[in-house]
Amino acid sequence: MTVRFSYGRIAHVLLWGGLAVASLGMSIPKIYSGVTQYPLRPTGPLHTCDSYLKFATGASGASKDLISIFQSMTASKRIIIFTRKDDAFSSGLGMTTAYLASPHLVRLFEISGTHPDNELSKMNPDELAAVVFCRVNRPNWLPAGKVIGSGLEVVSTSEKKVRR
Amino acid sequence: MSALALLGAFGTLLGAGYGFLTLLARKETQLSLTEQIAFSWLLGTGAVSLLLWIFGLFVHGILLPGLVSIICLSLGLVGWRRMVPRPLRRKPNLFEIFLGIIVFLEIAIVFYLSFVHTLGWDGLLNWEIKAHYAFANGGVIPATYFSDSGRAFSHPEYPLAIPFTELWLYLWLGEADQFWAKTIFPIFYVIGTFLVVALGKRFTGKTWNGLLMAAFLFFVPQITVEVGSAIAGYADFPLSIFYLATIGCLFCATEPKNDAFFRLYAACLALLPWVKRDGLILWIVAAACGVFVILRTKRSSRHFLALFPGLLIICGWRFYLSAMHAPQAAADFLPMNLETFSSHLDRILPLFSALLAEFHNLPIWSLFWFVVAVGVAYLLGQMRNPGTPVLLNALFVPIVLYLLIYVFSSWPNYLEHVGLSISRLLLHVAPVGFLIILLAVSRRRVKSPAPVHERGVTCTMAVSERTPVVELA
Repeated sequence: MTVRFSYGRIAHVLLWGGLAVASLGMSIPKIYSGVTQYPLRPTGPLHTCDSYLKFATGASGASKDLISIFQSMTASKRIIIFTRKDDAFSSGLGMTTAYLASPHLVRLFEISGTHPDNELSKMNPDELAAVVFCRVNRPNWLPAGKVIGSGLEVVSTSEKKVRR
Repeated sequence: MSALALLGAFGTLLGAGYGFLTLLARKETQLSLTEQIAFSWLLGTGAVSLLLWIFGLFVHGILLPGLVSIICLSLGLVGWRRMVPRPLRRKPNLFEIFLGIIVFLEIAIVFYLSFVHTLGWDGLLNWEIKAHYAFANGGVIPATYFSDSGRAFSHPEYPLAIPFTELWLYLWLGEADQFWAKTIFPIFYVIGTFLVVALGKRFTGKTWNGLLMAAFLFFVPQITVEVGSAIAGYADFPLSIFYLATIGCLFCATEPKNDAFFRLYAACLALLPWVKRDGLILWIVAAACGVFVILRTKRSSRHFLALFPGLLIICGWRFYLSAMHAPQAAADFLPMNLETFSSHLDRILPLFSALLAEFHNLPIWSLFWFVVAVGVAYLLGQMRNPGTPVLLNALFVPIVLYLLIYVFSSWPNYLEHVGLSISRLLLHVAPVGFLIILLAVSRRRVKSPAPVHERGVTCTMAVSERTPVVELA
């Protein structure tokens, strides 16, 4: 077998070799930090939800608690979730809670500020299974609910009626 | 127990895919082992998710996985009876073994990464949520989910290929398990590397070319470690692999009489809109490329039927959403009409600058797009070969269409909308960029189309200094 060398072929090899080396030089630090950044996490059926809830509230294994709370409520009634505008943590917490609230229908309310009194006062408590506050303050006139970590509270309205 | 269940789920899925593969490829075409595994997986995920959806309209509970399993096993039996022939094997050289080890290590790292990370935000709330709810409801997504405005954030209108592949695992595992659901995404990475290796061999006649490209796949951060990458549980990476298979098969089908690859192209094409809604744009582009190939290679008009399965899936899914009263219009976009377009024309220039900025976003893409640009420059001189315009259009047209979509963005700051999603949209076409680089690196000069035997190992669509016989020798 003979190998023919030409300037074109040498330029071709140099060009692609150079590009390959430059690409590797650029990528390897990023990939390395991506690979070494996180340790192995505990496994489990709800491990993503648990991680999100732990990140937002500090509570470990909160998904199971939330599911069991929602399962103890009448499935035909809706769950209301309050989140704060311009607060990514609150919004994420609200959506994760909505995910776990199945098979209940849910309604997400994004409010400005931290006091949902106006919105709550317009609701019919008979149609609600629970009200969830995600980094939003529970009105004082509403009985305390189950607090999960910091910033997440579930008030079951099937046990205590919401004041109209 | 979980390992056995996973084995059952993946085994039935691959069995179904292999059955379909043998029906499509028939005994007339030789496919390498990597091709057989890759196409079996892609066709298997498509078939199982479609079967779960269609049978779920009529049955639920234990009957649903039972029925789908029987069909998978039957297809597997068909595959066993009609085995696709494999090309003659030759001993790999030292360089190929070295590259093979690198690719293997990279695959191991991608698996590790996917287990280290949780599902990404969209991975959980757009995709896995559907699998979870369907599992809890006997394998069928509850009708209330589609009309529940409170869960509109999870996009009930998104198609089901990925969630129902996850559902298939859940049905075998007996529980909805977010940890094991992640296993399907590194498998898509494996399939991507297999396809690049196999297409590299077919395009250039040399295995090391494909192995080298497959090894470089790992070094694009957007593919391995970034948001929406192969480890995040998003549908973007699987969609990019389906698109790679579609365009790769179409390129091979530019050979006259290579109908087996044309049928594989048609199957992969049909699944694009079933993986993600954006797949509709890729479907349009790939279908247009298919029409071009049919006309250019003077194939009979019956080849236009290749577009039919995809149309059926698109219309079927739309009809299903209407029947379920699901919202079909995306909340992120204004009504798409000429009036909106003309009133937002001023966005086009800023959009193009945002795209250019994304191309040289080195932490996300490294030098990938620069290298692709060099590859494109190499291929510009080979436009007479029908495969070259197919590849270039398959790369550029979706990018332009994606960009134009943002003209209709309803976000107050549309450039923020672009910034959040453009890297994932570019990911859809990135593997096709690897095919372009592959051809450029191999520096194959294409002179004129010439027929090649279907049983050939490579899909050289033109006269080359290398023929399959020479290559094997």
